[in-house]
Amino acid sequence: MKLLIVIPAYNEQENIARVVDNLIEHYPQYDYLVVNDGSKDRTAQICREKGYRFLDLPVNLGLAGAFQAGLQYAYRTGGGYDAAMQFDGDGQHDPSYIEKMASLMEKENLDVVIGSRFKEEKKPFSLRMMGNRMIQLAIKMTTGATIKDPTSGMRLLNRSMVREFAQNLNYGPEPDTIAYLIRTGARVEEVQVQMMDRIAGESYFNLRRSVEYMVRMCVSIVFFQWIRRRRG
Amino acid sequence: MSVTFRIILIVVSVLTLWYTARKIRKSQMQIEDAIFWIGFPAVLVLLSVVPDIAKWAAGILGVQSEVNFIYLSIIFVLILKIFSLSIRFSQMDAKIRTLVQEIAIRERLEKEKIKNGTKV
Repeated sequence: MKLLIVIPAYNEQENIARVVDNLIEHYPQYDYLVVNDGSKDRTAQICREKGYRFLDLPVNLGLAGAFQAGLQYAYRTGGGYDAAMQFDGDGQHDPSYIEKMASLMEKENLDVVIGSRFKEEKKPFSLRMMGNRMIQLAIKMTTGATIKDPTSGMRLLNRSMVREFAQNLNYGPEPDTIAYLIRTGARVEEVQVQMMDRIAGESYFNLRRSVEYMVRMCVSIVFFQWIRRRRG
Repeated sequence: MSVTFRIILIVVSVLTLWYTARKIRKSQMQIEDAIFWIGFPAVLVLLSVVPDIAKWAAGILGVQSEVNFIYLSIIFVLILKIFSLSIRFSQMDAKIRTLVQEIAIRERLEKEKIKNGTKV
């Protein structure tokens, strides 16, 4: 399976070299692509100096736009990628799980495989996980499917998903898209993974952004899902 | 609040909801932007169906009638919306400027690289 790891990076100067060097050194079987999302720090310089394969977006688009740029590359490069991986640039994700995710995708002919923190392990009762639970409930209610880690940012998309994500509006790499895809017939599974805590840099999510994110996700899953028409 | 006014409010709100839904269905609008145009008319429908809410709020704020309260709220919400749109417009303007400059400069630098024989 020819696989492209897409790494959206916004202000990740502390982390990006560690993440990408690890991939180059230990996982040469996968291609990778960093998408610098108009970072204000040295992320782009580091990628240039180290000779990484990267897209340099001149302005900040946000996660959805940056990830989509990576998928457009995967789709248009003609390299014929069988799958693309959404992968964080902050070192939270462990590439050793990619193989397990990819083989499950192949074996069961899945559209999306989610690297899940809670497939087999218990979800802690913390404030941070409250949002996760709410989204899980919204997905369960609207699609009947149980996704135990809907907010995981580690997702593997197959070839047809890459095309669909690359070409359409409202296909951000977020739980509402996953819910919508499940309801309209996509095959989605989870694989248990471990995630590391962020080592350096700052998380994008403060309280205000978390609340906005939750409202956006719940409204989208509970209401907008039904209005949208999937054209593939 | 007269029945006619309530009916007008409901009809206009439902039309707005319908039009927003159509835009989403045709993938011509982002969900982030549609949330406002679903929420705002939904509140107006609620206010027309349950006029006691507006009456109660008007009483608290010392506004003469519930219709005035509804006018006031609509104006207030729309001003906030215009303000946030104005900010977004400004940022978009700046982004386009950066984008255009960036494309032109990259193209120029690329040409100069080729001319100087330093093309990699």
